[in-house]
Amino acid sequence: MRPLKQLRPEVKAAREDVIVFAVGGYKLAIAAGAVKEIRGMEGLHPFTLGGISTQITKLKYTLERNGSTYFVVDAAQHFQLPASNVSRVMVLRNMPTGVLVDSTDRIMEISTLHGLPPVFTHEERGWYRGLAVVNGQVVPIVNHSAFLNRPELEIVRAGLERVRGVVNA
Amino acid sequence: MIPEGEKSYVLFPLGERRFALPAETVTELARPDSVQTFPHRTPLLTGVLVRRGRIVPVCDVAQVLVGPAAPPRKFYLIANCKIGARQELTAVPVTGECELVSAANVPLKGNEPPYVSATLSIGDETVAVVALEKLICAETTA
Repeated sequence: MRPLKQLRPEVKAAREDVIVFAVGGYKLAIAAGAVKEIRGMEGLHPFTLGGISTQITKLKYTLERNGSTYFVVDAAQHFQLPASNVSRVMVLRNMPTGVLVDSTDRIMEISTLHGLPPVFTHEERGWYRGLAVVNGQVVPIVNHSAFLNRPELEIVRAGLERVRGVVNA
Repeated sequence: MIPEGEKSYVLFPLGERRFALPAETVTELARPDSVQTFPHRTPLLTGVLVRRGRIVPVCDVAQVLVGPAAPPRKFYLIANCKIGARQELTAVPVTGECELVSAANVPLKGNEPPYVSATLSIGDETVAVVALEKLICAETTA
């Protein structure tokens, strides 16, 4: 039998603060630097732009903050989980995205980021930056730019432009 | 000493049947441990184990090898398999204790599933040698 140490896993030393949050009974974490604000559900407006809502069904609300519009995504739907009891919105930094989650827990520091094992081959490869192990518990670190990726943001922006064009015509 | 023409295999049970992995690919038989899960969409994978600081994916091959009626898995056989260009550890849940044997290959008949790389004749029993990487790659990329 071969000793484990002969295999070199993909592990990055990455001391970083992350915010632990819960979705559908799972604990996940996001880079603390990627989150601008954590707030309650107040001030959310249902997103009802027909063509876009059917293309990006996880996009549920918009939120106006300091003159900016944030598009709020249901994290449970993003991770293809059953509907969960959302109570908090994480407003992301440097992108017009908010994320609906069940709860936020604590900020903690991780020291290493393990690559997602290559045998995971489906959508999760885009969902996560990697896995952290904290007190023996595995916590996926989410890829925050995947909640609304660039093509999805293009669809949203193009849809909004179309609506504004119709209103102004 | 292993007789000429024979190789070492680890036999593992899945319910009433036994299968084999080449012994050189097996790193350890782990006692029941808590599988940790997180959202994902890859078939067969039930989660990951943490073994000595390493994250080891758990691949429930019983679903393919014996179907959904396999009894509860009791141990994890941790084996080295090639996923893409890399060698990776993978934990295979098994339903009982494993056995190290030396045996010679019996020629394949040609009608075996593609993940069977050889068969062994052990007493009255014919045991399929599983090419873990073929099985996992075929199922997880489905």
